[in-house]
Amino acid sequence: MDLYLCIPFVGILLCIAVMPLLKPHWWESHQPHIVVLWSLLFVIPFAFLHGAGEAAEIVLECLVDDYLTFIVLLFGLFCVSGNITMEGDLAGSPRVNIILLTIGTLLSSVIGTTGSSMLMVRPVIKMNSWRKRRTHIMVFFIFLVSNIGGCLTPIGDPPLLMGFSRGVPFFWSLKLFPLLLLNMVVLLFIFYWIDRRAYCKDIAKGRMPDINKPKTKISIQGIHNLIFVVMIVVAVILSGILPDMPAFQNAAGEVAGIHIYGHVTLTYPAIIEIVIILLAAFLSFKTTNPEIRVKNHFTWGAIKEVAVLFFGIFITMQPALMILKSMGGSLGITEPIQMFWVTGALSSFLDNTPTYLVFLTTAGAMNFTEGIMTTLGMVPVQMLLAISCGAVFMGANTYIGNAPNFMVKAISDENGIRMPSFFGYILWSLCVLIPVFLLDALVFFR
Amino acid sequence: MDNKNIDLQKLAEKIYDLDTEVYECLGSSLGRVFTGGRDKTVCELVRELHTRSDGHVIRSDMALISNMARTIRDKEVKHRIMIKYDEIFQEVISLPTSFADGDVMLKERIALNSASRLSTRFSDDDHTVICIGRTFGSGGSEIGFRLADHLKMNYYDAEIFNEVLRRIDAEKDHMENREKFPDIDDYENKERYVESKPAFATGHKTTLWERMKEFGRYHGLPKRDAVYFNQSQLICEKAKVEDFVIMGRCADVILANNHIPHVSIFITAPMEQRIQRVMQISGQLTRKQAENLIKRMDRKHVKYFKYFTGLEWGAAKNYDICINSACYGLEGTMNLILQMINEHV
Repeated sequence: MDLYLCIPFVGILLCIAVMPLLKPHWWESHQPHIVVLWSLLFVIPFAFLHGAGEAAEIVLECLVDDYLTFIVLLFGLFCVSGNITMEGDLAGSPRVNIILLTIGTLLSSVIGTTGSSMLMVRPVIKMNSWRKRRTHIMVFFIFLVSNIGGCLTPIGDPPLLMGFSRGVPFFWSLKLFPLLLLNMVVLLFIFYWIDRRAYCKDIAKGRMPDINKPKTKISIQGIHNLIFVVMIVVAVILSGILPDMPAFQNAAGEVAGIHIYGHVTLTYPAIIEIVIILLAAFLSFKTTNPEIRVKNHFTWGAIKEVAVLFFGIFITMQPALMILKSMGGSLGITEPIQMFWVTGALSSFLDNTPTYLVFLTTAGAMNFTEGIMTTLGMVPVQMLLAISCGAVFMGANTYIGNAPNFMVKAISDENGIRMPSFFGYILWSLCVLIPVFLLDALVFFR
Repeated sequence: MDNKNIDLQKLAEKIYDLDTEVYECLGSSLGRVFTGGRDKTVCELVRELHTRSDGHVIRSDMALISNMARTIRDKEVKHRIMIKYDEIFQEVISLPTSFADGDVMLKERIALNSASRLSTRFSDDDHTVICIGRTFGSGGSEIGFRLADHLKMNYYDAEIFNEVLRRIDAEKDHMENREKFPDIDDYENKERYVESKPAFATGHKTTLWERMKEFGRYHGLPKRDAVYFNQSQLICEKAKVEDFVIMGRCADVILANNHIPHVSIFITAPMEQRIQRVMQISGQLTRKQAENLIKRMDRKHVKYFKYFTGLEWGAAKNYDICINSACYGLEGTMNLILQMINEHV
């Protein structure tokens, strides 16, 4: 695979980074066109080099196998969480925010980083609506709730689900708890001081929450939608379990499904997952009072933006993934610390699920005799810890590192919070996250 | 400059009203750009429009309003609002940068510090509010109380703090009238109010259960912050209906943030005189104990003031006038302030 085919991927990332700053209104109205343009700039040269058939197969494969389930999951959780609203007069203060972030982080491993992010983002915005300086709250929200919190179970983050479907025991990820704890403590400590400073500045400027009522009353409307959240979580778990069941495999041992083109098949487990998620979203809309969505300022803007941008990202990152797959074994990565950083660095910009799989395959092929037995071979515990942490934690490094990151950014932008630009966010990561990951590497993977 | 100020006022009002209109159309207050009251926000906007260095803030605010406006479902309403937005936006970007020749806030500050202009600060509708900050042992509280007595104004000190606590309790139990405020104009009972316990005095140790109860009671805020917010509200309410002298409580900054006219005074004295006074008043403290007490109180004052205002307590730049009470005595200091007030306010 030629390296220059990665140019469209770099191009689309640069557009996401720069265009909102240079031409915000133009970018907003022309996003789909630019995305299609960059996608074609990859597909046409690729078709010219490898044939139209292979190009069509590559595009369809990434759209059907990866993008479809990705966006349906995001859509389902976006719809269901938009139907739950929290009314209350808890005032956003450093203490309250620490509590919210802790709940969100722990919830991520129970209902997934996307589910937890979608469920918690609006209450966090609402409670802090009296404040002017709120950007850092949403940045740490992305760090903790949208990424790091999802490391404890295969439900938490898709790479771990991939590991589970490759033979890693369901509860094995709980071994990551000490890492989660260390990261949470350090990040929440840093957050507290940043938030306290911002909070004091807001107070100094005369901002104050409405605390006229004598007691804090919190009420949740549309709480029945939690049933639909559970439905979606079940659908995600099924997508990891069903492909290994003989009932869903054909005579050749491949996962059965509807054949689309070449090797591209929309598998039955994927169809089941999609149907359950869409059903949950539909039922959620049918059974919830529309007033709740009005109160939540529910619009399609955020999901539309994510759907459009990730359509282009998924297509244009294919050459980079192909290079990674072909070179993964020859990178000379043999130590857990190397696995941690390389998996993490690539997960920051590429989809973390295939990145995780590439390095799990690499580790499985090293003929280790001790460790966790997976379908890809024996992988030492430290090595698996490093790959898992790299893939899950470092998705927080950029807006595109993990699906909920961009969703949280889009929802925050839509609700009066000035989120940092693409590079501005990376600066936050470099200043806050990378030192924490260095600490992780020193303590756990040295 | 006056004409420009009027234009900026109108422009700021338009921006605020646009934000209100957008959120009324959306039916949700989530993420509203201007969450403060109209008058306060408009004042803030005028300042931002006037000050070159804060120009980007206005642009960002406008961008946030337009983000929200674009999510309006009704196409006609959306179209109408976007036209309005464009008109306002054009006005904002066409503002000449040259008129912002200097920081308006500093100019006001300079104007405030000049006694000859004090008379223009208060309009006929404004009440006279005198905010006095003081170091422990400088006699500031007594000066404030005598001043209030002389001017026939109410005097508020730690009592205001206690009243806020009572108010929170009363609302909790639905027992008392929240507007009730102590009338402290009886000189005979001055000991009750002079040198009374400050807001930041260390309270008794609370149990975990009490802390949990407080969490719900004060909306998740630390008790001290909740009290400060209630206290701020009360100070602003009172400033709109009566003349008064208020000791400490960051009242000067609270009123400034809410654009309520007031006079801010800081009273201090050399350490030696403060020690002598504290020893005289207590009658039991040794010199060392008095000195330690003063230092401890000063530290707490600095911390409290910095936490809630971000400013340096006692720094001359933060007040209209700073007085060394040791140079004039209690009576002399009061007369000095009275002279200034009578002559100019």
